[in-house]
Amino acid sequence: MTSPMSSQPSRATPDSAADTAAPAERRRSHVPVWRRVLPFRLVALLPLAIFLLVFAAYPMVQLVRMSLSEVEIAGGEFVWSGAGLANYAEFPDDDIARYSFLITVVFIAVTVPATVILGTVLAVLVRRATLLAGLARNVLLWPALIAPVVVSVIWWLILSPNFGTLNKVLESLGLPPQGWLGSSSGAIVSIIVVDVWHWAPLVFILIYAALQGIEPDLIEAAEVDGATEWQVHRHVVLPLLVPAIAAASLIRLTMGAKAFDEMYVLTQGGPGTATTLVSLYIRNVFFDRLDLGYGAAVSVLVILAIGAVLALVAIGRAVGPGKGPAHA
Amino acid sequence: MPSDSSRRIRLGAELPLALATLLVFLPVALILVLSVQPVVNIITEGWSFGFTMQNFREVFAPRQPYLTQLGNSTIIVAGTVALCLSAGSLAGYSLSRLGWSARTTILVLVAAGLVTLIPPMALVPGLYVTLDALGLLGSLAGLVLLNTVFNLPFASVLMKVYFDRVPHEIRESALMDGASELRTFLRVMLPLAAPGAAAVAIFVAIMSWNEFLFGLTMTTGGRTSPITVGIASLVQPYQITFGEMAALGTAVAVPIIVLAIVANRWIVAAVTRGAVKG
Repeated sequence: MTSPMSSQPSRATPDSAADTAAPAERRRSHVPVWRRVLPFRLVALLPLAIFLLVFAAYPMVQLVRMSLSEVEIAGGEFVWSGAGLANYAEFPDDDIARYSFLITVVFIAVTVPATVILGTVLAVLVRRATLLAGLARNVLLWPALIAPVVVSVIWWLILSPNFGTLNKVLESLGLPPQGWLGSSSGAIVSIIVVDVWHWAPLVFILIYAALQGIEPDLIEAAEVDGATEWQVHRHVVLPLLVPAIAAASLIRLTMGAKAFDEMYVLTQGGPGTATTLVSLYIRNVFFDRLDLGYGAAVSVLVILAIGAVLALVAIGRAVGPGKGPAHA
Repeated sequence: MPSDSSRRIRLGAELPLALATLLVFLPVALILVLSVQPVVNIITEGWSFGFTMQNFREVFAPRQPYLTQLGNSTIIVAGTVALCLSAGSLAGYSLSRLGWSARTTILVLVAAGLVTLIPPMALVPGLYVTLDALGLLGSLAGLVLLNTVFNLPFASVLMKVYFDRVPHEIRESALMDGASELRTFLRVMLPLAAPGAAAVAIFVAIMSWNEFLFGLTMTTGGRTSPITVGIASLVQPYQITFGEMAALGTAVAVPIIVLAIVANRWIVAAVTRGAVKG
């Protein structure tokens, strides 16, 4: 995250001194008392603050409290009773929970590099193309903008064992139809392919915008010096793209942990529990098993895991060797 | 100005790009084509093509919940965009132009940004009891509020970025002329950040139109749900409802594709600014 404040040192004053801008000073005497207690800049921040408190901080507190409780639904009401760490103690013996964490890590480990590499390659290609640049820049955005549920339906129409388009194509080529989503490995590969189709376009937009920001002079200078296309991209363009690629990777990493819609629609987490990623598992525990306390405990563990990964990334950036253009 | 070398047609770029564009285009085209195919054509082996509006008539018949769900989604989009624009432009303006220290600004933005990093499903248990306590469970108002929470951090950051580009002197001279802070914001500063507001509106509209998870978990389905939940309900392993599925998917996707074509430039700006800064 860059700080736009750094370009305006005069504004980076302590909060208390900030109201002393000349025009405000002149009108100070007419300002009603409530205005001084609640200046406009504070009032303007209140809606955001209230939203974060009521719909992020408070639910978070409730989540932690729920994870430490046994919650029954009786007569349409929640009945809470303290359970200590019992819900957390359940986790190590829960094979499905451990599998859902593992398969989520695998899912992230494959889809993040795949979408980042593919999206970057597409961005470079669009910049180099002339004939197809306009069309591709438009069409390549579609998967990232269409509702994920619709993306899932599109792939259901393609992969469905009965009358799915892919099997129809195979049959007309004289090949045997496949049960794409029917086997564990087939289902896992399928959701990975769908995810790459779905989100490589997002990386494409991000990297393409970063490419637009590169000075054409830099590239031309390298070309004039006799560098080949490959050398230009490897030694001039790629290093300049490092911050954008890092940002895109981080965004895709958190998106991988959020993935839900595609599995819910395409595989319902199956066959068996093969594609039950953590988000889907939390839903199942919470809404199918109605085990509210345990669902909350798994949620807390997911949040802690993401927090740990992000903290590692932050530490890595702070102490790592990437002090070059990566921090520009 | 493009040099000669950049105007040359490079097959090494055009051919892979043609393939990629085709791979993106064909699956989307498939749902559009299937939406107007008679069911017989879909469920028989081999390829035969026809044209019918029967699938659309089927899903939008009054006995079906889907028309109501489209209405619900429209209300959710309108409410979420309105809330994100007003709360987001106020917060963005305050953080950009009203003299908060760099430390405070970063603290607020990081706190808001954290919300968008947490998988929404992990917050669902907490959000569920929160909406229940407020009596908003299963209501459109509840869905508007949840959509707002998860889009507001982005909206605030994006508005801040646009307000950062408005020169200080404009605000100061408006205040000097005797305009109140609120009036300065509404009449002078906000119009100057209108491109930012447009980008926020487009982005938030797409996100809330596409939202599925809260619609699924916070409503009881049927006529209380947004349309995304309705589409998902059509996907049944042992039932062939391809025609209806394709028709409903088309009805939801086409407005977005049209928007992608018409407002391409805005969307690229919104996604890049918001994602990179946020």
